Parts: sequence; C-alpha cells; structure tokens
Amino acid sequence: MVAQGQKRKLHKEDERGGSAWESQLQSVLDISMDKFHRDQALMEPCLLRSVLINNTLRQVQSEVRTQVESLSAVKSPTKLKPEPDFTQLSPPAEHNAPLLSPNAENIEDTFMAWTSEEDFSLSSAISGILKDLDAVIDAGQGPCASQRAPLSSVENLTPCPLRTERTSDMASSVKTELMCPQDVALDKLLLDIDTAVFEPEVNLLQGFSVTTEDLVKYLPSLSKSPSASSSSSLVSHCQATWEIQEIEHVMDILMRTYPQS
Amino acid sequence: MMAGVGGGNDFQWCFSQVKGAIDEDVAEADIISTVEFNCSGELLATGDKGGRVVIFQREQESKNRLLSRGEYNVYSTFQSHEPEFDYLKSLEIEEKINKIRWLPQQNAAHFLLSANDKTIKLWKISERDKRAEGYNLKDEDGRLRDQFRITTLRVPVLMPMDLMVEASPRRIFANAHTYHINSISVNSDYETYLSADDLRINLWHLEITDRSFNIVDIKPANMEELTEVITAAECHPHQCNVFVYSSSKGTIRLCDMRAAALCDRHSKFFEEPEDPSSRSFFSEIISSISDVKFSHSGRYMMTRDYLSVKVWDLNMENRPVETYQVHEYLRSKLCSLYENDCIFDKFECCWNGSDSAIMTGSYNNFFRMFDRNTRRDITLEASRENSKPRAMLKPRKVCTGGKRKKDEISVDSLDFNKKILHTAWHPKENVIAVAATNNLYIFQDKIN
Repeated sequence: MVAQGQKRKLHKEDERGGSAWESQLQSVLDISMDKFHRDQALMEPCLLRSVLINNTLRQVQSEVRTQVESLSAVKSPTKLKPEPDFTQLSPPAEHNAPLLSPNAENIEDTFMAWTSEEDFSLSSAISGILKDLDAVIDAGQGPCASQRAPLSSVENLTPCPLRTERTSDMASSVKTELMCPQDVALDKLLLDIDTAVFEPEVNLLQGFSVTTEDLVKYLPSLSKSPSASSSSSLVSHCQATWEIQEIEHVMDILMRTYPQS
Repeated sequence: MMAGVGGGNDFQWCFSQVKGAIDEDVAEADIISTVEFNCSGELLATGDKGGRVVIFQREQESKNRLLSRGEYNVYSTFQSHEPEFDYLKSLEIEEKINKIRWLPQQNAAHFLLSANDKTIKLWKISERDKRAEGYNLKDEDGRLRDQFRITTLRVPVLMPMDLMVEASPRRIFANAHTYHINSISVNSDYETYLSADDLRINLWHLEITDRSFNIVDIKPANMEELTEVITAAECHPHQCNVFVYSSSKGTIRLCDMRAAALCDRHSKFFEEPEDPSSRSFFSEIISSISDVKFSHSGRYMMTRDYLSVKVWDLNMENRPVETYQVHEYLRSKLCSLYENDCIFDKFECCWNGSDSAIMTGSYNNFFRMFDRNTRRDITLEASRENSKPRAMLKPRKVCTGGKRKKDEISVDSLDFNKKILHTAWHPKENVIAVAATNNLYIFQDKIN
C-alpha cells in the first residue's frame, strides 16, 4: 500500500493509483462495517477497539464526503454561479482533519485535471460506497434497536443507538413541510444520505437524516441564495428538489452504465 | 556474528528454562496474560487467562555458580480471580489477570497486587516451615479431645515441617471501575497505588478498600462523542506526585497530583507530530499506545505502539528522543492485520536494570532487544527447538523483499498466532522472561 498522500493527486497518468485508493477505501469500509456489526452483537465489546473502529469509519466517511462534494462541484459546472462559494464545500475544521481538505484552489485544479472518464469511474465507485452505507444504515436501524451500541456506556442504555431524538424531530419536520408529490420519494432518499456533510459534530452513530433546506443550502448549483431560510416558499422548495432529483437520476444512470471498478 | 545486547559487554543470550505444557492444543485458560519480576528479581510471577497466579522462585546459587545462574522453580500457585457475573448489567466478568505488580518487600512476606477487568486484590505470600504440636484441646489431626481425658496441661512446641508457601488475599479493592482495568501501578510512597481503566484513573490507599479517589476522568457527557480512551498508566518511580497515562491517539499526558484533586488537566503533553507522507486509514490505530514504562532513573519513559517503541525525555514534549522500529515490514500489511484483528494486539515493553536496553515482543514468537548506547538491535525467537539447556540463541531475521537468504523468514511465513505480548527483564541481571502463549521462557546471558 502506497502512502495515502501520494495517491490522492488526480492526474491523467495516475488513474491506476486512483482506483487502488478506491479499492482500499472500499476494503477499509467493508472491514470496518463488519467489525462494527460484530461488536454490536456483543454484550460488552472492548471500548478501545470500538473507538478505534469508529474513528476509522469516520475517516472513511469524511473521505467519501470529500469526494461527493468534489463530484457535485464538477457535475453541474453550467449551473454554477459566476463566483461559486467554494468555501462552503470545505468541511469544517475537525480534530481529525480529513485526508484531503478541499479548498478553492484544490477544487479548481481538480476540476481542470479531471477527464470525463475518470469522473465516471470515480462517481460509480462513490455511488457504490454510498449504497453500502445506505444498506448498512437501513439494516442497522431495524434489528439493532434492542442492542447496545459499543460506545454507549454500560450505565446509559439507549433504546435505539443509531437515532437520537434530534434527528427524529428533523425527520418529522421534513415530512410536514414538504407537500410536493415528488417529495415523498425524495424524503425517503434524503433520509439515507449521510448528513455529516452538513453537521460536522454529528458522528456516525447519531443518525443520518437531513432536511431539504440544508441540502439546498450546501449545493451551490441549486441554491438561489446561499442563506435560504427554512421558511422559504414552497415554490423554491419544489424547484430545488427537482434539481436534486435530476442529479440523483444522472448518478443512477452512471451506476448502471459504468460498473463499480 | 552474534550481537550482544543489553549489558554493554560482549555477551550472548542463552536458553535457560521453559515452563508450561508442550501440547500443541493450548487451553485458553493457560494463556499467560502478564509477567513480572519482583523488586529483587528473586521471584517471578505470571498471571493467566484462567485467573491463576504462578510464582517462581530462583534457587540459591551454589553448585552451578560458574555455569549459569540459579533456576526458577515453582514457589506458589493460587487462584487469584474467579469468573463473576454482574447481575445488574447482565455481563460476565472475565477472570483473566490483566496485570500483576509487586510491592517492595518490607518483611519476610511478599505482597503483590493482581487485577482482572474490575477488581484488584492484594495477596500476601508467606512461608511456613514450623508448626505447633502438643495442643491441649485438640489432637494432632485436629479433632477435639474428650475433655475428661485432659489430665495435665502442656505447652505446645514448635516443630519443623516441610516448607509450605501460603497465599492469602489481604485486601480486595472492588467496585471502583465501570470499564476494564488496563493498568495498576504502585506509587513510590509505598502507601498508594493507581488503577486505570479505559476512561478513568483511581488512586487507592493500600490499607483502604472501601473507597478510592478518582484522579482522571475522560468520560464525555455523551458517550457517542467518545473518540479517545486511556490505554496505560504508570506512577513515576521516584516522584510520588507524578504519573503518566497514554491514549489511543498516541499521546501521553504527565500529571502532577499536587496541582489539583482531579488531574484532567495535564502538566505535560507528549505527542509526536504525524508524518504526512505515511498517513493512511490505519494511522490512528497504529499510533495507539499499548504500554508506557518509566525508566528506572525516572528521567525517561518508553511507549509502545503497534510498529515501534519510542523513548521520551520527560523534559521534551514535542517528540521522542529515540524511536526503534520493531517490525516495520508489517506496514504494508496493515489492511490484512486490520482484518484479522492483529492490529489491535497490545504489546508490552520493558527496560533492563540499567536503562541501557529495551525489549519488546513481536509475532512468530520473535522478540526484539535494542541497545540504546550502541544502537544495535537483535531479534530472537522463543521456541522449543532452541530449548536445549544453555543453548545459545541465534539471531533471527525477517526477509522484507527480494531474495530470501538461507536463515531468513519471509513476512508471509510469519505465524501471527504466535505473539509475544508480555516480557520482563530482571531488575539487576541479564535474565529475561518471555511469555509465548502458554509457555514461559527464561533466557539469560552467558558471559564470554
């Protein structure tokens, strides 16, 4: 395994390095999720081990998040405002800094260096990864409800470790606000997307739902005004959700056309 | 050409003894989980997964003075901890002995602390070689004498008997740890000791069992925000107010108990900046410190992480003064080692008596020694093949690539189930104890 820093440059001649990194990302994700689930089945998993596995998962998550953000910026270049707010794509500073912290220069370089071919293979890999995450979350939300999450203190048993009260409130608020017919399907889709992009303090265990307003705010191609408030009109909601659907549709096509490498 | 490591003189390590069953089938309970010499080196204690403690005593050097030092023979065996069940949390508490620490000897008896995940016990090991005979009220076999038969009064006399070594639990320090105890350390004041679990460190008085002081608590209010745990802790060998604890993120904090009752704020913070060129998904896991040990002098401390051993000067916080690679050839195998859980193995490390050499274990029953002065290092193997009396140990080498030389072993041939996690070095002499699964190997030097 080559050192991580060397592989992350997206140059034309480095295409093989890119897919090797993806496969390592996939391996680490698979292994980590497997261990995570095994530990959840134990009555008292080792706390050190749980913390290390969780931190590794967070790291993988931030890697995927970084790639998704970069991908979103590249995907809709025509819809970008004249001066896109690239800084909003940068994940906020964390104690565990992501391996690649995109800043405006990085993203522009990335955009220029990318060929469409690399773009497609990367996006399909990322879609695959996101699908895995989805599957895990869906599986995790059901049967684990009665089990103790590894990081829950032995004295603080929570009924459903993967959801906090806050995220279930958000889910219900999403349901009441959106009234467009497409939104029912969209709502379900959005609930599966990792919200750590938008709420950096929320870690893997705390849930994965997001409001449409937040999604709209952070995708510069879609937002009419970067600081769209949550009480914006229904019309702009529907327009934004339609554009989100368009992106999702494109990604679906890519997944079918270009199998995961 | 043999490289002697450890004494400065030109010497070689030789096999001395091996304890334990030869069976290929290893019973889980027999796996040694801790090894510790006492302060004089006369006694060597081991703890195992079955909760037993076995103490070996060195025989007096008399006949074999010229050829080798005295051998270690079984002195006492006792069941320290039993498996328990926590009914409140529906959890089984393992009887495995995590740590043994000897108290300095103050009278004829020996005292040690042994800890499993939740409870620490103070054991007194004492000898009895006389017994009283001629009791008035009972017979020699203990039965009460018929009172009508007692016609005269006699004074019992002490008669010699075969040596009997008794171990009795004198104190039980329980119910102070919610999480698993990973360390215990006796303070230099000989009155207190600390015990550390994943999130808390407690200070005990050896005489008081019903309460302890919590001196470090890193538990977050919301457990789901937990990203770092305590992995090891130790008291300073001379300054009774100073202790250190290491974390899963590769940091060490030195705390002064005079500063505050709760030592959540450290006095010194030791962390080596990360090398960005070697960053990977496993960087954090391999930086997790599995053991921390002060040097005998008290000026340095040593930490063990997955791939290396580092020596720190207590006066320099920003980087270690020495770094020794234990098995750097594993760096390219980290993904596999993550998958098979080997990456979570907790290796210990130890100093020799003069702090001139350090030792730690590896896989394939290999263990490594580093001479701090000459910068030489050596890899040796604990195996039954090399277990003829006083047989010299041949240095081992792992082939990292290219053509494998005759006596080398390739990385892919290493047996990752044979791991040496626990080693101990005699406090004064070049005698080492190496625990290889269920066997205890004792090696010593042979002066040329």
